[in-house]
Amino acid sequence: MTSYAGSLVSFKTTTLNSKPMSELNSAQKSAATEATPKAKSTKSAAQKALEFEQLAIPLMPQVYGMALRWTKNPSDAEDLVQDTFAKAFNAWDQFEQGTNLKAWIFRILTNTQINSYNKKAKDQAKVSIDQFEEWQLGDVESLTSLSSRSAELEALDRLPADIIKQSLAELGEFQQVVELAVIAEMPYAAIAEELGIPVGTVMSRLHRGKKKLREKLLDYAIQEGYVSDPKLKSDSSKATQATETTGGNS
Amino acid sequence: MTFDCQETKRHVHEYLHNELSEAEIKEVTAHLANCDSCETDYDLEHFVNNSIQDACSEVPPQELAEKVLANIRAMQAGIDHA
Ligand SMILES: [Zn+2]
Repeated sequence: MTSYAGSLVSFKTTTLNSKPMSELNSAQKSAATEATPKAKSTKSAAQKALEFEQLAIPLMPQVYGMALRWTKNPSDAEDLVQDTFAKAFNAWDQFEQGTNLKAWIFRILTNTQINSYNKKAKDQAKVSIDQFEEWQLGDVESLTSLSSRSAELEALDRLPADIIKQSLAELGEFQQVVELAVIAEMPYAAIAEELGIPVGTVMSRLHRGKKKLREKLLDYAIQEGYVSDPKLKSDSSKATQATETTGGNS
Repeated sequence: MTFDCQETKRHVHEYLHNELSEAEIKEVTAHLANCDSCETDYDLEHFVNNSIQDACSEVPPQELAEKVLANIRAMQAGIDHA
């Protein structure tokens, strides 16, 4: 955890984060099943509910989206979302205002999913501990040349959301780390702890996952004619889309 | 210590995810100010992150949102009566 000490992310100050996971699990479990939480509340119940509705509930679309991608099943996703928000509400006294709420909620989501819905997930996450030296020894070359990168940016801007979601779902072992870092904005150390993998593996999976994702998106953009830069244009691009890049001869 | 292009590009994700030390952030910032190639790389990764965030929200079914709220209000009532 020492590497985490220098992190600028304020998430580390939450009570939830400083507890060992075993303790957190049992605390959350008991909180979820008992009508009265053990933690002594300094806020009135009504105040607590209001705060929660104003701050936590607006995150539901992001949480639901993640749950849907993880469970691949709307009914399981709904159960997961309900459990997550119930646990979050019970643990609300432990959330420190001003710290990263999104990361805090997503941490509960990850924990709930791994412990309640997919007990195998944690074992699976541990199966392949990546050789994270791989990316450290180079592999930093750009996918494309400088001029093409602005074309890539332009193409990405026009890609449909479904393509991004689909590409993310095809990242295999990199998917969850990319999602937790990018969407949940969880610190590396928190991701490592939740998934039971070393921080180096989190870094490696994020780097490789993002690279893979950009390759997939670029491939799609070229195939579907979203890229206008001739350097990026594929010979196999569809004839219907080709007119768009050759100057629209009517 | 001064970051070259390779070192700067290698730190892109740690920079964007706030995982660098103050000294490293200074190095990266200084390099980016003078290097179009690295700056474009950083912009691109940042843009990809934004695209992922934008694409990955799903409007929850109305029924689910209502269930979650009802659940919280029930728990709140439980606290009130404790
Ligand atoms: Zn450079």
